[in-house]
Amino acid sequence: MRVRRLRAREFRTYARLDVALGTGLTVVHGRNGAGKTNLLEALYFGCTGRSCRTSNEREVVRFGAQATHVDLDLCDADGVEHTLSVGFEPGEPKRLKADGAEVERLLDVPARPLVSVFLPDRLELVKGPPSLRRAHLDQVIAAAWPARAQTRRAYGQAVAQRNALLARIRTGRASRASLPAWDAEVARHGVSLRDHRAEACALLADPYAQAAEDLGLSGTSVLRYRPRTDAPDAAALAAELAERVDGDLDRGFTGHGPHRDEIVLQRDGRELRAYGSQGEQRMGLLALLLAEREALAEARGALPLLLLDDVMSELDPVRRAKLALRLDGPGQSVITTTDLAHVPGADAGSVCRIAVRDGAALVEPGGGGGMRFRRVPRPLGTAVEALTAELAPLTGLASVQRAWPDAVGPAIAAQAEPVAEQGGEVTVRCRSAVWAQEVELMGPALVAALNASIGTERVRSLRCTAGAGRPGDRRNR
Amino acid sequence: MYAPPIQRLIAELSRLPGIGQRTAQRLAFHILRESDEDATALAAAIREVKEKIGTCEICFNLAEGPRCRICLDDRRDPKVICVVEEFGDIIPMERTHEFHGRYHVLGGALSPIDGVDPEDIRLAELYRRVTGDEVTEVVIATNPTTTGEATALHIADELHHVAPDVTVTRLASGLPVGGDLEYADEVTLGRAFAGRRRL
Repeated sequence: MRVRRLRAREFRTYARLDVALGTGLTVVHGRNGAGKTNLLEALYFGCTGRSCRTSNEREVVRFGAQATHVDLDLCDADGVEHTLSVGFEPGEPKRLKADGAEVERLLDVPARPLVSVFLPDRLELVKGPPSLRRAHLDQVIAAAWPARAQTRRAYGQAVAQRNALLARIRTGRASRASLPAWDAEVARHGVSLRDHRAEACALLADPYAQAAEDLGLSGTSVLRYRPRTDAPDAAALAAELAERVDGDLDRGFTGHGPHRDEIVLQRDGRELRAYGSQGEQRMGLLALLLAEREALAEARGALPLLLLDDVMSELDPVRRAKLALRLDGPGQSVITTTDLAHVPGADAGSVCRIAVRDGAALVEPGGGGGMRFRRVPRPLGTAVEALTAELAPLTGLASVQRAWPDAVGPAIAAQAEPVAEQGGEVTVRCRSAVWAQEVELMGPALVAALNASIGTERVRSLRCTAGAGRPGDRRNR
Repeated sequence: MYAPPIQRLIAELSRLPGIGQRTAQRLAFHILRESDEDATALAAAIREVKEKIGTCEICFNLAEGPRCRICLDDRRDPKVICVVEEFGDIIPMERTHEFHGRYHVLGGALSPIDGVDPEDIRLAELYRRVTGDEVTEVVIATNPTTTGEATALHIADELHHVAPDVTVTRLASGLPVGGDLEYADEVTLGRAFAGRRRL
């Protein structure tokens, strides 16, 4: 499953966003605060219906806007197209659609691409408490084997019930009579949860070691599952729980079971969590994500979309090159950077580059984006038209045309040109209907850029026509 | 907005399960439009059901009188008891025409979070029935949820103590008959797989 195009409205800093992604690596670049991470977040939001940055989802709606909308155009391995769409208005239930039909959860949608995401604040996953790693591993399990997601939910419910019972026994409001039943229920789900985790960790171990080595994390890197219990079956775990019941009653909660497991990331026998440097933890996290990607590819036969936010800035050139080499393989990945030079190979023809600036994102020419575009030789008539317009006294149109290439960037200038101007409305002729739509979608941002270039508020709106419409020809409206 | 009696009717109707404000309003208007006889018949039916229907003193099923129709029926096998959470669960069981024993309605399932302990559901009554009568088998038909499963385990445990000779069984869970594998959810299918049998 591949994401071909991302469209968003009123998302974070973007009033409108419409970009085509590359088939392989896509590099999003722009200065700090330009909206690179917002673009990644929009992708994640479109794939999962959730934000990867905040639990307060109100934040994703653009300041002053009512609601946000994210649409994804997808394309599966057989070339069949799908769409996902997420509409969100704070305070209302989300409107999730897959291929135009409403669904309750995107997680169940077969067309949904799997996503793994690297954000700088996700370093907590390596250096934070074990609960984060457990939750993360369980998410990987759910992604790889959807049927197993239920186990964690059921286990959580059983433990919550047991804890409630412990509290009631402690305060004398309940007897111990039903405790064995809850022990058995906790154990039944606990043993399968542990087995699922063990299997997932076994699947991750080799790719992790390999990825860590590839990324230049020195020494031997190991990912290991450290389960709390090694009870052979549910009855044995239930017995272990029963043995510890006095301690549990003292504490008021269940102190034994898979909800106390740890997933250990080690380098040369020492835990990254405690002994790793910031850089090493960062590499560990990256290696973990890359390993998951491989494991998921093996379990589900699909490479997840990899979103990497600002990962290059803290790597040295050697490691940058190593990471770039790994991203060059099959599968889609999106990486953000402030400086294109930080991504080795970013200028390759197969790489799609998206420039982000002031709440607008533009796909650059020459990239391997879903929409390839190049300069097509222009017919003489068009060229002369443009030339006469340029030679004529500086009319409104002439000033717009002068400012056009700089204001909209070479990508759009190659595909669309202003051909008429009347009372602030600029007619833009585009090479194709698709581009007419593109330019129209970017309208407000382009108007602002044009006005900034010209220096006056001359332009009020853009009118896009496709194909060989003559200037002022309104039939193409 | 409306006259107080209408407002009251709407408020009462909207307390019913599955009825929202709008539906309640529609129902209220319908009742207003109805003939007097129809409306009073509805009121009388509600009153009658509350006056005449109680719970069976043996199995706690709904009953008109002290005992329910199933407990009064001599053809039903008193040796087998099927334990269900709510009396609503009896109807689907009856529709199978497969079960000829009697029932026991617990009135809920163990859920410490909601403060439901063994004393709060009709377990003592069940144990009394099992030890007193000539019961040979207890079929536990609680829901296959966390609370239902724990309740089943608890009952089985207790029954092994109080009546070691009684066979305790649990309903199987798996694929719906006539269903398509294609449409089965993963959990059900997983259970069915775990409980597969040799042919």
